[in-house]
Amino acid sequence: MKDIDELNIPENKRYSDDHEWAGYTGDTIRVGISDYAQDQLGDIVFVELPQVGERFEKAQQFGVVESVKSVSDMLIPLSGEITRINTELEINPALVNESPYENGWMIEVKPDSNDDMENLMDADTYIKMLKGIT
Amino acid sequence: MNVNHTGLHEWHVKHGAHMAPFAGYDMPLWYSSGAREEHLCVLTACGLFDTGHMSVLKITGPDSYGLLQKCFSRDLNCCTGNEKKPLSAGECTYGVFLSESDGGVIDDSIVCKVAPDVWLVVVNAGMGAVICRHLESYKNSFDVIITDLTELVGKIDIQGPLSGMVLRHILSEPDSVFEGLRYFRFKGSFDNDSSHSDGVRLLDGTPVMLSRTGYTGEFGFELFCGYRNTVKIWEALLAVGERYSIKTCGLGARDSLRTGAVLPLSHQDIGNWPFLNNPWTFALPYNTEKTGFTKEFIGRKALENASYNMFTCPFTGYDVRKVADGIVIDNAGDVIGTVLTCVTDTGIGRVGDTVYSITSPDKPEGFVPKGLSCGFLKISRMLPAGEMLMLKDGRREIQVSVVEDIRPARSARYPIEQMIT
Repeated sequence: MKDIDELNIPENKRYSDDHEWAGYTGDTIRVGISDYAQDQLGDIVFVELPQVGERFEKAQQFGVVESVKSVSDMLIPLSGEITRINTELEINPALVNESPYENGWMIEVKPDSNDDMENLMDADTYIKMLKGIT
Repeated sequence: MNVNHTGLHEWHVKHGAHMAPFAGYDMPLWYSSGAREEHLCVLTACGLFDTGHMSVLKITGPDSYGLLQKCFSRDLNCCTGNEKKPLSAGECTYGVFLSESDGGVIDDSIVCKVAPDVWLVVVNAGMGAVICRHLESYKNSFDVIITDLTELVGKIDIQGPLSGMVLRHILSEPDSVFEGLRYFRFKGSFDNDSSHSDGVRLLDGTPVMLSRTGYTGEFGFELFCGYRNTVKIWEALLAVGERYSIKTCGLGARDSLRTGAVLPLSHQDIGNWPFLNNPWTFALPYNTEKTGFTKEFIGRKALENASYNMFTCPFTGYDVRKVADGIVIDNAGDVIGTVLTCVTDTGIGRVGDTVYSITSPDKPEGFVPKGLSCGFLKISRMLPAGEMLMLKDGRREIQVSVVEDIRPARSARYPIEQMIT
């Protein structure tokens, strides 16, 4: 497993304490799981995503990520409506391991407000949190 | 709490293994390839497992056979082959140690006959002391010495169709070692002082014990060595194995491989309930007609008197998705049991009604296994293969089928001559 210093935690994303990331893509916000999360989970074999149009409140379960060893709920880091899902993950769930911030993105969300993003951790704070856990 | 390490612990951490606690040991779950690649590598090439966390007991003395006949489920006088011959020196057999009170499993084990008065008993991680105490409690006036060798012995499992090809490069006399090394036979000793230690030596003279056994269902070996030799043997196998695409494999792949091979996990698929109505009762000393037992043994009365009406059976799902702590629902909608084990065998897939493995000789052209959930259920009635059930946990419901076997085309029993070219 990767040491904290080996993890990729991009500066241009925000992070939740459940190890999801959120980043602006034009008007919407893209969400996925962090490099720490995919490294801990191991080989991802299945991703369950919500439907386009579904609404979630912050911290609600929006999907499931399944690895060879375990099944984990994913919690949405902000309130809003799902505008797009990454259908590539149906055919190739390993994209989440290979490229958690780019090709392995999970959902796009039209946020209810910008406050939720402000309340997420920046990269430095997330790294500090990880150092505290491990 | 004291966490134990095998001799390879530092190696695992240094090589980026994802570590996790198991039975009091800090063990690798997977390495950088990931558990899926490791699982597939064992099916198609060769994988290396650190199994030094397992326990080894030595039983010596004129009454060794007597004590084991009393406590071990197999009838050592009639257990090998279709003709049910007595266990010979150099042969080993799988069975269980049962509790006298309820006929439940204390642990499962492979028992190896080194000589009429020298036996090795291999049990699971953390169970050495427990089985020692169990045997001591039934020793009475038997002339026998029971020694726990766990701290002194390391073990490496090398499993997969190319494992013989890899091994031959570190053995000093591979042809003579492999000659007659049939399934569930062993040669050599990890103890230099033993008269059997010449049976198998490495190129540098290190004595090892090599058995045609394992926990993956695939062709391979368990290699027992002195604890201090484990790292050098591990590294030697990796060096010669590189051209055979060898990979180090963790407990994740070990668990998915053994499940696909319909092998139980002690304290999960077998445990403190009567050892009956399951796929492994071949380990009990039944007579040919299956009307009774051929010997007295601890747990016999409990089994004979048990009013036990649960059934343990294998299942295979229809996609990779698993359940955790699931319940079993039949097609009338009734809850009929629980899920003992549920993992994904990433080497298998369905084409129509048939399950194929990546190794199936008759697999359709272009077949790529997507993986299927599989495992064992404990249910309140016996169901035939093909019966459909639902497994449900807090998150999801998955459809599965009761099966007689899970992963097809397993190579464990293939003749060794076919596997070393």
